[in-house]
Amino acid sequence: MKGSLPEEETSFRETSAEPHTASVPFSHLSLELGHLYMEDFAEGPDRLRRHFAAVRPWADAVRAGVGPLPEGRRPRISTCFLVDDYFSRLATPAELLPPLLAAAREAGLTIDYLARESGCAAPDPAHPGSAPLAESVLHRLVESPPPGSTGYRPPVGRTGWLTNGRRTPSRRTSAALDASDVWQPPSETLARGHSVFMDVELFSGTEEDRTWSCAFLASVWQLARLGLLRDNGRAVLTPAPWDPAAFPADWDALPPVVRLTPDAAPFTAYGTCSVLPGRFLPVEHAVRVVLDQVQLEPDVLDQAARRSEAEGYPLPGGVVERTSYVFPPGL
Amino acid sequence: MLVFAASDKGGTGRSVTSANLAYHRALDGDDVCYLDFDFGSPTAPAVFDLPDVLAEAEGKGLHSYLKGKTGEPLRVDVWARTEHPVLRTRPSGSGRLVLLPGDRTGGEFVTDEENLHRCVDLVLRLKREFDVIVVDLSAGRSYAMDLALAATVPRSALARITTRWLVYHRWTRQHVMAAAELVSGKQGIVRAGVAMGHDETALSGSIRFVRAAVPDLQSPLWSQARPEQSVWMHERDRQLEAMAAGLGIGKTRALASIPLEPVLQWREQLITYEDVVDSRVANLETWQAMGDLAQRLGDDKYWGQL
Amino acid sequence: MGAQESTPRPVRPVLACGEVRTCLLPTRDAVDERAAEALLRLRADERVRVSRRPNRCAVSPDVLTGIDCRLPTANGAKVRAIGTVAARAVLTEGRVLQSTAYFAAPAEGPDGRRPWGYYLVRPGLLVPVGRLPAPAVAEGFLAGHRQGELDVGSVAESLLARISRAPLLDYDTPLNTASTVLRWSARPAPADGEPSLRFTVGEEGLRTVALRLPEGTAPAAVAGLCEDLALHDWLLTTVGDKLDGVRLGTDDQAAVRKVLGPLVDHLLHLWMPRARLERVLAGLWDALEEAPGFTRQWDALAQRIRDQLALRALLARREALDARLTTR
Repeated sequence: MKGSLPEEETSFRETSAEPHTASVPFSHLSLELGHLYMEDFAEGPDRLRRHFAAVRPWADAVRAGVGPLPEGRRPRISTCFLVDDYFSRLATPAELLPPLLAAAREAGLTIDYLARESGCAAPDPAHPGSAPLAESVLHRLVESPPPGSTGYRPPVGRTGWLTNGRRTPSRRTSAALDASDVWQPPSETLARGHSVFMDVELFSGTEEDRTWSCAFLASVWQLARLGLLRDNGRAVLTPAPWDPAAFPADWDALPPVVRLTPDAAPFTAYGTCSVLPGRFLPVEHAVRVVLDQVQLEPDVLDQAARRSEAEGYPLPGGVVERTSYVFPPGL
Repeated sequence: MLVFAASDKGGTGRSVTSANLAYHRALDGDDVCYLDFDFGSPTAPAVFDLPDVLAEAEGKGLHSYLKGKTGEPLRVDVWARTEHPVLRTRPSGSGRLVLLPGDRTGGEFVTDEENLHRCVDLVLRLKREFDVIVVDLSAGRSYAMDLALAATVPRSALARITTRWLVYHRWTRQHVMAAAELVSGKQGIVRAGVAMGHDETALSGSIRFVRAAVPDLQSPLWSQARPEQSVWMHERDRQLEAMAAGLGIGKTRALASIPLEPVLQWREQLITYEDVVDSRVANLETWQAMGDLAQRLGDDKYWGQL
Repeated sequence: MGAQESTPRPVRPVLACGEVRTCLLPTRDAVDERAAEALLRLRADERVRVSRRPNRCAVSPDVLTGIDCRLPTANGAKVRAIGTVAARAVLTEGRVLQSTAYFAAPAEGPDGRRPWGYYLVRPGLLVPVGRLPAPAVAEGFLAGHRQGELDVGSVAESLLARISRAPLLDYDTPLNTASTVLRWSARPAPADGEPSLRFTVGEEGLRTVALRLPEGTAPAAVAGLCEDLALHDWLLTTVGDKLDGVRLGTDDQAAVRKVLGPLVDHLLHLWMPRARLERVLAGLWDALEEAPGFTRQWDALAQRIRDQLALRALLARREALDARLTTR
């Protein structure tokens, strides 16, 4: 009589054996209002004012460009700013952040969400014991295989570098005995005629004492804004409400992402646009190389796809295509 | 257990003695595999009487594996494939005896991270299946030896596997001096190992010497000598022993002494019990010495810091 | 943002293939659930699935490997495929470790390689360039790959190697065991035909399984069936080999104990076929139970071990008794 009983009556389930994926809210667009090094802050308020004045017209253009949306729908757009507290900490949040917010305000811009770069590298303080986001993303890298990849290739975790193609072979064999050992150029997979080969350093140092690269943390940042990361199914970098008048004296006392505008649209969004100084172009090229090779949880991708579809705002399948940039002159 | 067989010079009987050692351990019931890391001149197929293996290993041997050209290095079941008439019947109660041959045209190569990882992965994998893993290294301070040292540093995954080094040398002035230099010299195993992260005491405690082709002055071969010759030989032997002791490779650090065996002078091969008792071409002492070596290899009493 | 395809249209695979490698976890004792989770935690953000009924079993998340090469074919046809092979590890009762690498393939694909993101949203799918000759690939895959062709075994092996490097493994195993390789291929059963399974025992630990399954069977479920087959085949092989090697008639009590003891302590309780299989797939086991009769053979082996141990205990007691009588 096998197979004749209704499924419910005979099924045995163990919750520990079944994954569950939390959902997150989505804006249409997450707009990043620039990125600065600590040294830029050190130059004083004028430097910050110049920055936001240059960003403003482009931010307006990006807002106007969202869509098309179904009749009667208004775009949900949130703005954010990422502060680098990972590579250097020259000043405290209490010293650094109020002038930043003031400069944005003067240019007519509001920073809805403020994030710390170390939030992308360290475990989420809201969930002690969770994995550092950068490490989670590292484990999700699936290298784009150059033609001829049969499955026999060392994993990315061993090298700490990621390319968009095939490296020039290393000359480790002794030349005298190996006739095939001639220099070969590197190549970009799917190059259009000629290659633009890129090799991205993901981190330096040992497994115990690792320094993540700026490019890799920027990739994590993009994925977080796209709402595509989870930790054991839980949402990560969930914004904490914060009073902009009361920044602490210690960066670690500040949650990784804070919401400064109480009624802001959600931090996570279907798409991202970053208005950045041109000097970040190589970094963002590297980000695209990384994003192109991150395998995200199918459940998480499905959530975003189903929700956007239901809103009449279908998403491109590839994650890279959900990010966009403006590199304005004079920034 | 992981065993590295090293020697300063060629012609020390390293490969043939190590193969006999593997054979004896297998006879005693251990599952044994023998890795031919003698890059450039693989001799193991000849010793185990596996004439076809040399050609078969081309592109599938240990060099190809370490270079990343193949995911699965060739394995040869010695009992099943050997053409040696005695070995072909696997004795009951014996363990497995498997050869991982090198490629004929492999040659030396510079070690890098990748082939170091492959080497570690291979040994871990073999350890699941075998009691004893014998790795025959090429003569001298070779890349193979550097690979062995690098793979077994305390932070490596291989550190949890008992590792022992056998350094083979002939019983002559030059060979004794060269063997001592290979271990304790400026370019020696211990210094090189320490530079890579080995603990000096632990590493030197895991090294023992094997004297090969030692003339046994009591044996009929030599006892027929003229009295003058005999006196001279005994005197040289005594002097050599004193010199070895002075170089730190005296009797206490010698794990075994393999007598000069006429059969091995003609042909590098496994000495079987049948060679000793049936055809009687080989000496019983040789058989016994190989057995002693195999037994002492696994006996902690003979190991550790002296 | 262009209105283009947002989620990949579900594809009907016409072929699924994989390879399972089975070995004893290289530790003195079976590991507990926490250690099992630590070993199989291949991703920082995805947990290990642990199940306690009807036996303890931990399954790692799938990890992917990018592929762009020719597929093995029985007729020599050249088919290029691009995509990912999925791999996962399973630890049963903290004692037997398995690693499976597998993929599914649709009947046809685009004419050339697409951007990598296209393949990443189709995990575990190898998309052919053009049409896929499914029967030829299914057959060619079981026969083994040639140079330059898809090497799924290496994917499984490198996952096994990755887990094997974990510091908590002591490599002091209670018994030496050879690993086995089980290679499988599955195609939809013909419209009017029943699901079927052909199990072949090859040389040097290689087994092949050719499956015809109901349309729509998930590749991961097929992988589960084949892991179950591989585990039980490995148990039969390992216990059979050990009994072969030991001279049961001898008086060498120590030698016999050295072999029989670990078998009882570590392997005999692991026999539990069909533990977590979907019904349709569990039915395929029945065929193997009829011929060659997996469980029948296992029962015979287990009974032989128990008889030996009972007999030896009896003899030992008799000897002790005799010794006491003679000293009196």
